[in-house]
Amino acid sequence: MILKDIQKILEAEVIVGDDLLGEDITIACGCDLMSDVLSFVKPGALLLTGLINPQVVRTAEMADLRAICFVRGKRPAQETIELAQSKSIPLLTTPLLLFESCGRLHREGLSGCSENKKKIK
Amino acid sequence: MKLTELIQKLNLSVRSAKTHLDREVTGGYASDLLSDVLANSEEGNLWITLQIHQNIVGVASMKDLAGIILVNNREPEPETLEKAELEKLPIMVTEMPTFELVGKLYSLGIVGTK
Amino acid sequence: MTPDNKISRIQELVYEIRIGEVMQSDVITISPQTHMSELRKILREKRISGAPVMDGDEMVGIISIEDFIKWLADREHDCPISEKMSKDVQTLYADEPLTQAVNKFERFGFGRFAVIDRQSRRLLGIITKGDIVEGLLKKLEIDHYKEEEEIYCRRVEHFFEDILADKVVLLFQYDVAGHDFKRAGEGASRLKASLKRLGLDPQIVRRVAIATYEAEMNLVIYTDGGQIRARVEPHEIFVKVADSGPGIPDIQKVLQPGYSTAPEWVRNLGFGAGMGLNNIFKCASKMELKSVVGKGTQLYIRIDTKDGAMSETN
Repeated sequence: MILKDIQKILEAEVIVGDDLLGEDITIACGCDLMSDVLSFVKPGALLLTGLINPQVVRTAEMADLRAICFVRGKRPAQETIELAQSKSIPLLTTPLLLFESCGRLHREGLSGCSENKKKIK
Repeated sequence: MKLTELIQKLNLSVRSAKTHLDREVTGGYASDLLSDVLANSEEGNLWITLQIHQNIVGVASMKDLAGIILVNNREPEPETLEKAELEKLPIMVTEMPTFELVGKLYSLGIVGTK
Repeated sequence: MTPDNKISRIQELVYEIRIGEVMQSDVITISPQTHMSELRKILREKRISGAPVMDGDEMVGIISIEDFIKWLADREHDCPISEKMSKDVQTLYADEPLTQAVNKFERFGFGRFAVIDRQSRRLLGIITKGDIVEGLLKKLEIDHYKEEEEIYCRRVEHFFEDILADKVVLLFQYDVAGHDFKRAGEGASRLKASLKRLGLDPQIVRRVAIATYEAEMNLVIYTDGGQIRARVEPHEIFVKVADSGPGIPDIQKVLQPGYSTAPEWVRNLGFGAGMGLNNIFKCASKMELKSVVGKGTQLYIRIDTKDGAMSETN
């Protein structure tokens, strides 16, 4: 699916990256520990997290993640937004909790980072 | 749904409080931030996390959660297990990451808190 | 580009570019009842040399400054412009290539053409010779810019091949400030961008970036700062991360996954869960950690560029 679909499914608002909503995404992870993101998340994944500090964007940059969606209605400070903008990493924010967000996206066909691409639509 | 049923359906390994798995699960809460779980989880929730530190037991008992599932093949620290036995709090482990485990719980009808 | 192939590029462009891309789309239209005496003011104020004449939704003609001059020269009485406009309305479709417009300008000698939609036949815009020239120049400029950028990238990507030597070594150094959580990762970020520019394999670049970033976080969290040095050779990237204190009392312990002495504020930011060194170990072909309490710590990370994704589990 594309980022635009994810935005709709999660009732999310785009903070940065309106021009990147056509990006294709097939895998996702829900995680609040950045070392774990760095170690097991695959390139091109969507990161769902409750953290909003600049290091979340740095982590996405280092691990070649495609986009970040903040959960629980969290909204980062301007410096985090600017960093994401300069690295072309789209930022979304959803009012949903992490559990509901993962549940919905998994139901709609996104895979986790350990699953094989067995159910790509 | 009862905890025992979920353990069986998702092939979870139980690490503590093996005789206290009869509890009804009211919903799920996924987070690796203790303060978030303290603030937002609800009684009877099943907590999905990567954290293995003994503090997770304290948080879970304080909020009266149904149990904790550790994801990504994480194993609880020895102190965590000791404390969990004491508090009769079930800790389970799985090789699945959070996203996948929550996806499966969701498809079994476990909902997130509002 | 030589002058010759610049010309052939223009010839290509008049076939590539569509009329709709260069036309002016906010068209000023005039009603047929407008008087000729009012025309000068309209043309001057709107800074245009002509306009389509619209009777409701229908285009009934085109009036231009030439028509106005002719009317003045003939010293005729004032009249509605519908009497002086050219009623032979030649139109172009927005999806036609520029060459169609060039042909029509040559054939009819008009100063402007109305541009319409092929299906709905609705007026979409107006095109003049000036618009065509402007559109071509813009495209040529973009081409030129892209070309320069490409040459630049290619030059850097072939860096190692271009250098004639028995051994080539590149050294990068990044200084890291301690306890500055907001700026943490800038060193790793700049190193990553530089390695990408050198055209190294993306998997290798990712591994170096992740390992360096974790090491940089350690500097920021536990020390007063230090240096990251990266030595880049065609076969290997060697990263040395060094600080001058406080040092690690028990190295075996910190290498255990999950062991951490991180303060609570660090944990609340998503770091310090004791997986950092484990991560570095996973990314590296070889890793070595040396530390003396009170003196400082050195971490050595080697990543073999022929290794690809091999030693990384993901």
